[in-house]
Amino acid sequence: MTSLKETASDLVHLARDEGAKDVVVEAFDRSIQLVRFSNSEVDSTLSWSEKHAHVFAAVGKRTLVTDIRDLGAAAEGVKALVRAVKNAPENKEYGGIASGRFKYKPGRPDPAIVSLKDPAKHVRDAIGSAHRAGADNVGGTLYVRHEVTGIASSGGALASDESASMELSVRAFSQPEASGHSVSVTPRLVALRAKETGARAGELSVMAKNPVQGEQGKFDIIVEPLFLGSIMHFSTRMMSAVIVDIGMSMYARRIGKKVASAGVTIADDPLMRSSSRRAFDHEGAPTRRNIVVKDGVLRTYLHNTSTAKKYRTKTTGNTGPFVPTLFTVPSQPVAFHPVVEPGDWDPEEMISETEHGLYFNNTWYTRFQNYATGEFSTIPRDTILRIEGGEVVGAVKNIRISDNMMSFWKSVDALSKDSQEVFWWDEASPPATLPTVRARQMNVTRSA
Amino acid sequence: MEMSDEDVALAVLREAESKEGILLAEVRLEERDKRHMAVKEGHISSAISSHDRGMNVRVVMRSGTGFASCNSISKVDGSALLRKAHRQAKGGRRRTPVSLSPEPAVKTTWEVHQKRPLADVSTEEKLRYIQGLDRAVMKTKVKVQGRFYELKDYEIESFFANSEGSRISSFLPRVVLEAMNLVSSKGESAQSIRDWGASGGWEKVTDWALDDVLPQEMKMLKVQLDKGKSVRPGTYDLVCGPEVAGIAAHESCGHPMEADRILGREMSQAGKSFVSPDMIGDRVGSEYATVIDDPTLPGSYGYYAYDEEGVKARPRFLYKEGLINEFLHNRETASKLGVQSNGSSRSEFYLREPIVRMANTFVAPGDFEDDEIFGDVKEGVLMHSFTEWNIDDKRYNQKYVSREAYFIEDGEIAGPAKNCVLEITTPGFWGAIDAVSKKLDFVSAECGKGDPMQAMSVFTGGPMIRLRKVALR
Repeated sequence: MTSLKETASDLVHLARDEGAKDVVVEAFDRSIQLVRFSNSEVDSTLSWSEKHAHVFAAVGKRTLVTDIRDLGAAAEGVKALVRAVKNAPENKEYGGIASGRFKYKPGRPDPAIVSLKDPAKHVRDAIGSAHRAGADNVGGTLYVRHEVTGIASSGGALASDESASMELSVRAFSQPEASGHSVSVTPRLVALRAKETGARAGELSVMAKNPVQGEQGKFDIIVEPLFLGSIMHFSTRMMSAVIVDIGMSMYARRIGKKVASAGVTIADDPLMRSSSRRAFDHEGAPTRRNIVVKDGVLRTYLHNTSTAKKYRTKTTGNTGPFVPTLFTVPSQPVAFHPVVEPGDWDPEEMISETEHGLYFNNTWYTRFQNYATGEFSTIPRDTILRIEGGEVVGAVKNIRISDNMMSFWKSVDALSKDSQEVFWWDEASPPATLPTVRARQMNVTRSA
Repeated sequence: MEMSDEDVALAVLREAESKEGILLAEVRLEERDKRHMAVKEGHISSAISSHDRGMNVRVVMRSGTGFASCNSISKVDGSALLRKAHRQAKGGRRRTPVSLSPEPAVKTTWEVHQKRPLADVSTEEKLRYIQGLDRAVMKTKVKVQGRFYELKDYEIESFFANSEGSRISSFLPRVVLEAMNLVSSKGESAQSIRDWGASGGWEKVTDWALDDVLPQEMKMLKVQLDKGKSVRPGTYDLVCGPEVAGIAAHESCGHPMEADRILGREMSQAGKSFVSPDMIGDRVGSEYATVIDDPTLPGSYGYYAYDEEGVKARPRFLYKEGLINEFLHNRETASKLGVQSNGSSRSEFYLREPIVRMANTFVAPGDFEDDEIFGDVKEGVLMHSFTEWNIDDKRYNQKYVSREAYFIEDGEIAGPAKNCVLEITTPGFWGAIDAVSKKLDFVSAECGKGDPMQAMSVFTGGPMIRLRKVALR
């Protein structure tokens, strides 16, 4: 059987023979199983599989992309694309594709995940543990993913990659308005902590019992990795050069400037062992660890070859998918696995050294009044604990953080020494490895 | 779609008959031509096209539901999907057995007519159209950064068949334009992120008149920046324009009235609802608060004639004169609550399971003229449109921040109000309405829900509505 890498290479040669100058072909074979659960039982099991190829072709500055969904008819698709690109209008910002003699570090999927037969067992483990911890209603998802990718380009890219991962998300309720959320995200089956994840969600739901209406005002906030994952979703998006270009980023004109407190270092690390590890970006450039914010100072945007040329730098190996996903725009460089470097605090220490604050388990629905300035609000959900005089004094509900995202990062004064890989729905995405952090004096609002 | 594909679907259903314990088997085949292009600051940034075809098989048993899909159509694939979905449904081990509302078998064909088919408009013409919008924006002389425009259009050809005898063929063309702009003036900026969407052909795009609408939007934002004053925190009468009425209808009526949320199926991700099954007939708003979800609005972005379970679409009165009236149902939720499905089952595309979704959700029109709405407002604000918004996962606490707003003084529109914030509960919003105007207007949007997230094309909308004595800042 022809490998995806060979398929991609054959299609690159075909496109070149037909007259294309620059060509990238990335072929995918992915299969996903999803066990959904709600009301403490499995409600449905879903599976889907896709084999397809993204093909990018350029003749001079004329560029076109197609998604070939039937690989059996790929040759015809490529020929049609090259015919069309010769007559396409020019893309003046096109700056070429990555080229060179590349070396890659492909991943090795865990065979135990690839051959997993009964994922629902882990769901039942998680539900049982959540109940034993005090929850009375549990829901969530368990994803089992396996993906093989082959890439080839006229710039010299030729590689395969393979990954497998599992993501367990558990939300437990002990009362209708008392919930806790916990996740386990891993590329190794043995590292899936189903029982512990369920237990943690259950424990949090018990801590969240009997919440009272929260108050408005300024609070020091301590946020768990799941909450920070949502902040990172938007922050890393705004680090993309294309998002900066279209005016939707608070990081515009901030290279070399302070964008976070000195304790904050943010990297994108596609090569660390994680559920989103990948050996190459979507142009075929080898991925690498990029430090984007170092000690609070913005060092670079995330680039592909075209944006790098515009910004007179080199690609960071963050080319996004040629066919955009739900939360990307065309040509957008993307973060693959964001990391906030840990600090030296224990979360318990953060609590004991907080005079007037709130502890947050999770958040959702983060929206911006103005991406360019960072004005935003987000709605904490699941466990919210009030801290007074260094102690948790009770649970809170119905509040919103209405502040500025740059101010959030600039006011971070404590980061935990332990980090966790998190990935939840499209809120905490892409998968990221994050600590618990404390930010000072954030503005909290509520419905009148 | 060729007849042989339909034969595949029917062969899979025949195979399903031999499996024990199946309450329902469904097969959906889909073929989609899709085009997507982007223009950034007047320059072509991307042009993408694809032709996609695939199928799914859903099996419902008392023990659970299984759903399997792939991006090819063949008897071999269909049989494999059936085996997988059957195994998944069988292994569900549901304590509460699955049941489905009885619905009539339907044999029909439906389609949305295009005066000028989207596929007949060349890539070059579409790109010229978007570049023309950019030039129109530039002519305003307003400083606009970004100017990022995406045009997406597609045709979906579908065949649905189930084990109860339904056979439905459909053809649905859709087009959407998304515009992202950032207006700057005197050291400040304001963003505009907007969608225009429709079901139909290229004629819908010309109907939008965006070469006029977009420049007006830029000029308006500059006025907001240059002349807008902050709202002094306090209690005011608030007039919401159709865009704000629409987002409230979607977020704090449509979502909490989805029966799958109410029954807990979305509890972990999209969330639950402040509404419980026994709240039909409970008051949530004033007598002026009627909210309808109607998939059958011709040309609407959320249009469909039959849902993804083969149930005929119809208008749903969610809140009626301030009372909780009717939930959005699929066959499973309807059965649980002892009613018929009202045709609310949708999926983004063939790889995804159908779930309960909104279509076109709007506040029902009233009998006030627009200027009457302002007439007896002594001190208030008109929030014409919004930028930031969010709501909690039980759909009770919501926030809207204005993109375009004006002070109202003694019944007259006064100067612009900048970044006006309404943060309010759901009964607080719907209970404060005391006047609704006659004229309806709609906005298109992509609604997110499901695992994995499915973006669903919808309209939101309404007339102007007046809320008395709400807190603004």
